Amino acid sequence: MKSSYYRLHAITGVWHYIGREALVALCFLLLLIASPVSAADMRFQERSLYMSSTIPGEAASYTISFRYMSPEPVGSVDMLFCTDPIPYHPCIPPPGLDVSNASLVEQDGETGFTVGSQSDHHIVLSRSPQAITATAPSSYKFTNIVNPSDTNQAFAIRLRSHASLDGTGSQIDFGSIRGQVTESIIIQTQVPPMLIFCVAEEVDDSCAGTNQNFYRDMGSLSDQTTLTAQSQMAVGTNASGGFAITASGAPMSAGTNVIDSPDTPEPSRPGTNQFAINLVENDQPAVGANPSGAWTNAVVSPDYAQPNRYKYTSGDVVAYSPNVSLMRKFTVSYILNSHRDLKPGVYSTTVNYIASGRF
Amino acid sequence: MKRFKSIALAAVAVVMVAVSAMPAAPVDAASSAALSIVPKKNYVIEPGKSVNDTLTIRNLDNNEPLELSMRVVDFTFHDDGGTPKLMLAEDAPQTTWSLKPFLKVPKSVTIAPNASKTLDMSVAIPKGHGAGSYYSAIVYSSGGSEEGNVGLSASGVTLVFTQIPGKVKEDLKLERLGAYYLAVPGGREAKYVKFATEKPEAIAYTLKNNGNVTEAPVGSITLKHMLGQEKVINDINPNSSLALIGQTRTFTSCIKLESEEVDFQGRASQTSACTTPSLWPGRYSIELNAFYGQNGNRTQEIVATSSFWYLPWWFIAVVIILIVILTFVVWRTVNAVRGRLYGSKIKKSSRRRR
Repeated sequence: MKSSYYRLHAITGVWHYIGREALVALCFLLLLIASPVSAADMRFQERSLYMSSTIPGEAASYTISFRYMSPEPVGSVDMLFCTDPIPYHPCIPPPGLDVSNASLVEQDGETGFTVGSQSDHHIVLSRSPQAITATAPSSYKFTNIVNPSDTNQAFAIRLRSHASLDGTGSQIDFGSIRGQVTESIIIQTQVPPMLIFCVAEEVDDSCAGTNQNFYRDMGSLSDQTTLTAQSQMAVGTNASGGFAITASGAPMSAGTNVIDSPDTPEPSRPGTNQFAINLVENDQPAVGANPSGAWTNAVVSPDYAQPNRYKYTSGDVVAYSPNVSLMRKFTVSYILNSHRDLKPGVYSTTVNYIASGRF
Repeated sequence: MKRFKSIALAAVAVVMVAVSAMPAAPVDAASSAALSIVPKKNYVIEPGKSVNDTLTIRNLDNNEPLELSMRVVDFTFHDDGGTPKLMLAEDAPQTTWSLKPFLKVPKSVTIAPNASKTLDMSVAIPKGHGAGSYYSAIVYSSGGSEEGNVGLSASGVTLVFTQIPGKVKEDLKLERLGAYYLAVPGGREAKYVKFATEKPEAIAYTLKNNGNVTEAPVGSITLKHMLGQEKVINDINPNSSLALIGQTRTFTSCIKLESEEVDFQGRASQTSACTTPSLWPGRYSIELNAFYGQNGNRTQEIVATSSFWYLPWWFIAVVIILIVILTFVVWRTVNAVRGRLYGSKIKKSSRRRR
């Protein structure tokens, strides 16, 4: 048995050493493959864009600045204008942008460039290849660029430096710069966003009419029963950010006597001092209704969306929509309970419902 | 004469008593509380310059006039979303980003039923004012009722943002990146998810704004399945949402976005919403490439990666069943092999014993 083992070891012994060497060689090979193709392939630093005007569609001058990071000789700088800054994504030209008539009027830092070629969204700067010597950011000012027209979308300039004269071949440095046109108060190119809002005891779905009643007598306070009331509000917006409705107002009071409101949702408790609201249908007591309307993305805030549980905190957002929501109607339920020791008086409050856009 | 005086005084007293005893007219009952306003205004104004603009307000009520009082208040953020927190108190301190000193609007307006009115407004930035973002809100309030136990009042708000160009401090820090469940009305709350049993509709990223300007990042998110399936979200901020000064803001990007054109008050508007994406079960890696930077300032980049698992219950059940079947098959095979290998020896040995 022992002799056969030695014989096997003698036969495979050579392979043991070869295996070890092969393993080391394989590791080297993997390291070579895994290492970057070019150590000089770096991002431009301190990249910025200054637009002399950010008005959509207007002719402006653009000053593009960046710091070269690799010392390799550069013969061209490729500037590609796209909606997306990621260099390996397909380039969609920003709508309305036109750089085909752009002129290079100033350059600072690494200089000697001229416009080698250009199209409506592409400029290639060219010079005889020279090593990078500037340590500060270099800047290039172009005039006669027509701004993009879409204020809702930023755009990007994808930059690449090359050793070649025409922006071809392997890149040396790369990076993107962000730019955006802003709303013009002169040119209205889009349907302006609107926020529609109405409040009353009863309102139409479209806010075209209300019952013109903006107050409610809830009756005489009793420690045995819960007083109830309800009001309605309709809201809609075509603003992409949606809307929010905030309820604001002091707790119910008569002079210095105040009926407190719970700051967490709780059931109606007859015999205790309690003024609270919610925005859904309840059966304890029977009051209110669920929101109505097709735009279900407009919702009641979680604290005010629990049936038979009520709260009221001034400044709370009671309903909101995260995006465009055409008309939706909300019904607010009010409950009022009182302790038998509550001082007599006319208790009242005014709840101000504030509709705002979102940012 | 004395008699005449006493008669006259008595008559005045009767008239006064009669007037004071008359019920007060419900002043607010004859006013509308239905309005249409512009929710947001954006300006870029250089120091020493001003912008004159208009605010269009519409009274939607067909019968009653709309009486509004107007004032400018500051606002900040509620949470990590985009809801403004209005500082309505008269004695609220002025914020460092307040536009109040520079914003002029009328104090009140009355609009006829079913009509609209255009009001002048202006923003004037003094010479030498520092660069940055400044914002406040215009609040339009309809008169509240003083009657009854519960009075109602309606207000609308226009948020006004102004950028003063120049060198600004921009600093966004990424706090979180991952798959995100959107809120379901009356059910699930919005939250990040690492192990998802239902398909997440969105990828979210949370940024803390430590700069002195509002920021609206742009860029893309790449979602990669462990087996190579790839999805690219090209617009990571489709609503141009803002991170306000000091805010930690969560931005959500739909994995699958559906847009449609809708009619709003007779005008075409674009609406978009997240829909359920087609995802394979397994591990997904997320790569975020976000860019931000004001005009004339450095473009800054946030590159980050994260991951999540999408393991639906049906998939977990299938895997468990497969494991059980596999275990059973292995057990049967082992038994069968054992039986063939050792079964005959056992039989032989038992025969020998006999």
